[in-house]
Amino acid sequence: MNPRRLAAISRRIAQGFRRDRPTLGLLFIVPLVVTSLLGWVLEGAKTADTRAVVVNLDAGPAGARLATSLTDAAGRIGHLEVSASADEGRARQDLRDDRIDIALVVPATFTEDLAAGVARLALVTQGTNPGEEAGHAAALQQAFGQALGSLAAQAGFQPPELDHQTVFGSPDADELDVFGPVFIGYFAYFFVFILTGISFLRERIGGTLERLLATPVTRPEIVLGYGLGFGLFATLQVAILITFALMHVTLPAIGPIPSISIGLDVASAGSPLVAFLVALVLALGAVNLGIFLSTFARTELQVIQFIPIVIVPQGLLGGIFWPVETLPDILQPVARVLPVTYAVEALRGVMIKGWGLDDPTLQLDLAVLLGIAAFFVLLAIRTIRREVA
Amino acid sequence: MADPEVTAQGGPAVEARGLRKTFGPIHAVDGIDLALAPGAIYGLLGPNGSGKTTLIRLLVGLARATSGEARILGTAMPSRAILDRIGYMTQSEGLYPELSVWENLHFFASLYGRYERGQLLRSLELVELADRVGSPAMELSGGMRRRLSLACALVHEPSVLFLDEPTVGIDPALRVQFWEHFRALARGGATLLVASHVMDEADRCDELLFIRDGRVLARGSGAELRRQAGTGNLEEAFLHFAGVAPGTAGAAR
Repeated sequence: MNPRRLAAISRRIAQGFRRDRPTLGLLFIVPLVVTSLLGWVLEGAKTADTRAVVVNLDAGPAGARLATSLTDAAGRIGHLEVSASADEGRARQDLRDDRIDIALVVPATFTEDLAAGVARLALVTQGTNPGEEAGHAAALQQAFGQALGSLAAQAGFQPPELDHQTVFGSPDADELDVFGPVFIGYFAYFFVFILTGISFLRERIGGTLERLLATPVTRPEIVLGYGLGFGLFATLQVAILITFALMHVTLPAIGPIPSISIGLDVASAGSPLVAFLVALVLALGAVNLGIFLSTFARTELQVIQFIPIVIVPQGLLGGIFWPVETLPDILQPVARVLPVTYAVEALRGVMIKGWGLDDPTLQLDLAVLLGIAAFFVLLAIRTIRREVA
Repeated sequence: MADPEVTAQGGPAVEARGLRKTFGPIHAVDGIDLALAPGAIYGLLGPNGSGKTTLIRLLVGLARATSGEARILGTAMPSRAILDRIGYMTQSEGLYPELSVWENLHFFASLYGRYERGQLLRSLELVELADRVGSPAMELSGGMRRRLSLACALVHEPSVLFLDEPTVGIDPALRVQFWEHFRALARGGATLLVASHVMDEADRCDELLFIRDGRVLARGSGAELRRQAGTGNLEEAFLHFAGVAPGTAGAAR
């Protein structure tokens, strides 16, 4: 490995970009536009079985009656499983760890409050996916409606009110807070893949690869040089996307142009730098996947044809819209080999749950992403045909 | 920059023995023996598809021979170690269109570990592109791109130079210049193998190899080959050796 030759390859990629304005636009502007569009048109997600816990802290009898009738109602409704607990802290921890989906907390003064007609219950969810959690809350509320009869024995009965709380983020988090982080990773992947694929294809068909291979440059130098060159642009792209996702600037109305807001205003619980690292590792894998797949294309149009094969399935199965756990069993192993799946889990973890680099799940995600990137580096090196290494 | 060891021994700069390359049923190179001496220009003449490019790729080490062996400056090919002594001008231009003249040249020079600015400028002056250093390659004319391509192949002062159809698409005046330049390189001790299907360039070579269907039909100086064929014209000489009566088939142009 000769660092100067490596640098020469990366530099020539940067020099090529400098004069290629449309491509720069594709890298830096288009993702912002598409992210904004998707942010506006998002729809709710599919709901899985609901695992609920009723935390009964009530000193009086009403809480216990509610818990029992909720469990009975859940049995009748299906797709809902209710268990009882008396430990609120434990229930909240279970929510954080994804062992349960929703908790209904019955306060210590519930029996008295009910008699006074001022009873309130707390409905606690994770706060990471509003669409999915709304489904869990609806399931529990359905059971709750049926269970109300057990409380309505007294005259002047006032049904208790439900307060929605979350363990992560804020209860009024919108879908953008959930989808913003993953779009960053997905777009970095998408655009870097397309650009490297086409750029390397040009090396193959333009005769420059033939010429490169007649110089003392090594194949790992070529592949890693590409990784560095495109990695530089991927770094910039990811930095811009993350800034865009986090910021929120409202431009005032000027004449006939209405006031518009720029940026997604996504709240990040964890460090944006960690999110940046995740997206970057993902993008480096995409560089090498692009080099590898360019072997199978003869024209630039054929690189574009890889989009439905490589990019779309990852968008559908990677957990961006539907959690991997809710996918049909046959698709789950497929989702588990896609890099986007790990990046989505890691980016949501960092930006919503506030994971730091010390979080074991994040470490695992990063390790898998690095492993996938390394795997594609080896594949890419192998696809450059030459009789000498 | 001829290899002192090889020239001292007087051994060939490029050597091939029984070189053969098959692609399925096609014998692209079908048993070629070569010994090219330092300081001379060799012409590789044959129609399109006769195996010229495949032979060069085997010699440069970009492809592995099905059988036989190739040696450059005494080193068995393929060998990465000897590649910085070899120059290869591909049939396609092999330039980065969005990079400028200077950036293209500097890029290939860097791969050979050559960074000296003055030297790069001199190679551009040689191909008369010194006034276009900042122009992107895609804005150059076809002839200018060929010249830049040649400069990129020469930038590391190779001892052995393979030129695959170097004068395709360039005007006669520039072609004369190219050949004067090739001659100067040979005088400096370099070995040049120039593939072409243009017969009127051939007389500028010290020795010619007529090649067809992956085989060497005849070799010798232009004058010798014409005499053997009993004709005053190389094109007819080629047809003679190819076993085609002149005027019956267009095997060579």
